[in-house]
Amino acid sequence: MTTDVLQPVTTQPAEETSSDEKAERPRWRPTRGHLIAAAALIGLAALPIPFGDFGFFVGQYALIYAIIGLSVVVVTGYAGLISLMPYSFAGIGAIIVGVALGSWGWPFWLALPLGAVATVPISILVGISSVRLKGLYLAIATLTFSNALGETFFKWDAATGGAAGWVVERPIVGPIDFSSDISFYVLCLVAVGLLVWMVEGLRTSRTGRAMLAVKDNELEAQALGINVYRTKLVAFVLSGLIAGFGGGLLALLLITVTPSAFQSPLAEATSILLVTLVAIGGMDRAIGPLFGAVALVIQQQVFQGAEFFFAFVGIYAAVVLIVFMMFRPGGIVQAGKRLVEVTKARPALGLAIWAFVLITNVGGAWLFLALS
Amino acid sequence: MITLAAPVTEVTVFGLSSGAVYALIALGLVLIYRTTGVMNFAQWAIGLIALVMYVVLSNLGLPGPVAAAIGMAAAVGGGVLSYRLVFRRISGSGQIIVILISIGIAQFFSSLAAFALGFEQFTRLQPWLPVVDWHIGSVAVRSSEIITAATAIGVAFGFLLWFRLSRTGRALRAVAQNREAAMLAGIDAVRYSSIAWGIGSALGALALLLVLPHTAGEQGGLITVFDVTPFGTLLIPAFGAALVGGLVHLPMALVGGFIFGLSRELLVLAPQPWNNLRSAVAAILIVFLLLLRTERFFASRQELEALGG
Repeated sequence: MTTDVLQPVTTQPAEETSSDEKAERPRWRPTRGHLIAAAALIGLAALPIPFGDFGFFVGQYALIYAIIGLSVVVVTGYAGLISLMPYSFAGIGAIIVGVALGSWGWPFWLALPLGAVATVPISILVGISSVRLKGLYLAIATLTFSNALGETFFKWDAATGGAAGWVVERPIVGPIDFSSDISFYVLCLVAVGLLVWMVEGLRTSRTGRAMLAVKDNELEAQALGINVYRTKLVAFVLSGLIAGFGGGLLALLLITVTPSAFQSPLAEATSILLVTLVAIGGMDRAIGPLFGAVALVIQQQVFQGAEFFFAFVGIYAAVVLIVFMMFRPGGIVQAGKRLVEVTKARPALGLAIWAFVLITNVGGAWLFLALS
Repeated sequence: MITLAAPVTEVTVFGLSSGAVYALIALGLVLIYRTTGVMNFAQWAIGLIALVMYVVLSNLGLPGPVAAAIGMAAAVGGGVLSYRLVFRRISGSGQIIVILISIGIAQFFSSLAAFALGFEQFTRLQPWLPVVDWHIGSVAVRSSEIITAATAIGVAFGFLLWFRLSRTGRALRAVAQNREAAMLAGIDAVRYSSIAWGIGSALGALALLLVLPHTAGEQGGLITVFDVTPFGTLLIPAFGAALVGGLVHLPMALVGGFIFGLSRELLVLAPQPWNNLRSAVAAILIVFLLLLRTERFFASRQELEALGG
């Protein structure tokens, strides 16, 4: 803890040196992080091909959950505020996009931003209460807010369309028809790429470093002249915008938007799935939810059809979450770094572990689909 | 006034019984939080073990109370195991990790429940408390409500007395107040933490088993898909009740349970827009309690720092 406390102090000179470096080195050079991100995107783009249409549906689902997961990265990973709100924010986004497209007949390029912006009043409300609440108390507060939204907004038939929900149509933009799975998959991929890049950029921006300072030590951040109140509010609003946007995409993916999934966030499997995938992916870095989504959502969707396996996936996800939090709290990002080190030191062992992880995850899903 | 008297009596009994259920869960939450610093978001799912055992065993033909007792024993086992295998090993971790792990434990046990019951088209629930109408004056009230309220109040007060007077209770309080000092005085902190988890889980399990007759009665004892959602939602008013005692004070948590139970049921009598907003009213109450920072009335700064809250 004591070493973390020093961090805000060291960020100050780091800013100066980085601006000096910029002057010396005007050419943009890809860093290792960029290469990893590019490799991950290419891998993701190719992943659904062997599985056909179903593969593209699962891929879209995983990417959209990765987007919603990014909202947890901003508020919890960066600013250190425990928020169980993102799933409800996504629900607001989905419902508003559903109303705008399905009932008011708005164009989608207006509806998607509206879905994101609709979360702002709630996120400001939660943000204000986060100023006085920390840790466990904030967790209880956000859980309460989320549950109250489930009992009021998500049960308000006029807005949510009741049990039938809203039916939306995917847009046709020029020559591209987004009702085809491949083009919508590419749209999701582009959105994930952009958002991961933006959230990773936020980390090194002025606002992002203020969030990290607030996470480390609020009093010290204040002493450094950081407006803690504003920083927390910004974290919550950004988190709401990202999750609301992801929820809007979720509406376009599912075509029929029903509120029932958002009514009781505490016990809802998809809500827990979101928390789990962010935690096991690693919430300190923007790429984390993407890893978590690929690891978990694929399994969840593949086994959805088989009841026996579906209950099993819940148990599997819970065990993975508990084991990761006990031994690798940094998630897959941390475990992956460790694995890279192992591979460098002992290539045979490292490669064997890589192969084992890949085979059990992708191979298991493929085998299940091939047999059923 | 005469026309109002009947619903008021009925609603008060409802309020007392659901308040007692909230209070039992809250007492378990507070006991576990004070002794081990873990706010157990999995309380309801551990209680679910008892419910699943009860449903399975009673459908095999065991008498209801016996099945309920075996179910409670299983829940105690589940709670103690989660402490021994998981929470004991993460005592140095931050609050985020602890909360995420307890959500994971909840997911584990609720998936297990779905695994055990989810495949049959119908699950038969047999109420283990008699469901007949009893008369208080001229008002008919369902017997299970009165038994629920009376059992829960009895158990809660018995537990508080035991906690105050017995040797184990004193040791538990010592561990709660200062873990290191208690260990220096020769108290086995791990053993007493396990006891706290066991008792906390038993209280939660009893609460869920007392909820059962209501759901069973409403749905004619036959439910199509075993839905864990309503049990998860019980945690919210239980948090509220625990907050009345600042998450650390047991008697005030009992009072809090009744505040939340009675206010929820009495709102049924309120005019139209309000009786649909019962959860919102509870949420406002909880946020108010949080902003009041009730914990400072019941615990010293040092104790709160030790809990890491």
